[in-house]
Amino acid sequence: MGNVVHLRRDRHDEALKLLPWYMTGRLDPADKARVGAHLAMCPACRAELAAERRLRDGVARLAIDMELDWAAFRRARAVRPHSRLAGAVGAALRRRMSRPAALGWLVAAQAALLLVAMPVAPPAGRPAPYRALGAAAQPVAGNIVVMFRPETSEHDLRRVLTLSGARLVDGPTAAHAYVVRVPEAGRGTALATLRAQAAVMLAEPIDQAS
Amino acid sequence: MSGYSAAGGQGRASAFSGDDDLRLMARVRARDQAAFEQLYRNYHPRLARFLINLIHKPHLVEEVLNDTMMVVWDRPESFRGASKLSTWIFGIAWRKAMKAVRRQDEPVEDTESETRASPDAGPDGRLGQQRAQALLLAAIGRLSPDHRAVVDLTYFHEMGYREIAEIMECPVDTVKTRMFHARRHLKRALSGDLGAGALADWW
Repeated sequence: MGNVVHLRRDRHDEALKLLPWYMTGRLDPADKARVGAHLAMCPACRAELAAERRLRDGVARLAIDMELDWAAFRRARAVRPHSRLAGAVGAALRRRMSRPAALGWLVAAQAALLLVAMPVAPPAGRPAPYRALGAAAQPVAGNIVVMFRPETSEHDLRRVLTLSGARLVDGPTAAHAYVVRVPEAGRGTALATLRAQAAVMLAEPIDQAS
Repeated sequence: MSGYSAAGGQGRASAFSGDDDLRLMARVRARDQAAFEQLYRNYHPRLARFLINLIHKPHLVEEVLNDTMMVVWDRPESFRGASKLSTWIFGIAWRKAMKAVRRQDEPVEDTESETRASPDAGPDGRLGQQRAQALLLAAIGRLSPDHRAVVDLTYFHEMGYREIAEIMECPVDTVKTRMFHARRHLKRALSGDLGAGALADWW
């Protein structure tokens, strides 16, 4: 007899603890069945459930009114499509532009545009390649930045990438640069191959944080 | 930014599905800023509500909220899909909020809660409702942050106890016990102020 009383007491206490989630429909099926069965035979818990509902409604009505300012957030936090990339690319280009054998004015202008545009570049409505949620956690890091001549066809671009063993990692950026990845051991050779192509205006090594 | 209002549960429960969340998150992983903006807009009202309840200071709420969303943007790969996206994001917000509170090194009791009750409840016959809300806010303000979080996640965000336990990194039984004690405190505080049964007339 004592065990039965204890069991009822336990069920009652358990139901009292679970009432909030019974009310919001967020109980596990087994818990829901147990609480439902107990409610059917416990007037005190039914009254508690009614009070619970009023309390929940009261709390839920206390909504807050906080301004949503996406533009300010974006400005303040510098949400950029390639925030980690920009530093590496910019550093590579600064090194390149500081060399005595300066690039032609066109390349210099493009590079300057890249330096200026990348930190604030909008996404240009073009997402990077899709990776599934279960895919490898670390994004692939590029190790060379390439700029092609404006008139370069897609066919030529593909040929140059194939020839140099490079795989496209990112781009085009707002300044029309691409980040590619080549095997680290062959980076010097790949750079030489890229620079030898008429379609390539600039090819520079970068060490992009992954 | 401002404080609480009597907006009738504005923003309560999500109007977007978990599938929408996952689609947006997949695009965020691909560095799609438009998807991130959508995610930000979806989560801002819910996170703001959750955080103002915890840390009370609008400037700090904004900082923690933005820090939280920057983790979503900068480290999307740390969401592995084992839990719901909302659980992951709220978990980040919870940890950052607690750090911010500790950094402030100030009492976390909400001493200004009464003053945040909305004045916009309407001109006629709603003073009782305003007063009720003020009392409820005051009672919530006297809860510990742990208890406030459980109450808000359960009642407003309509989360289950397992999800709340994941967010707060505590056992499920701890969530149940915190909720039990928080409810008891709130009911006692409210019935003490206006007499037993008064709650029934408010809403």
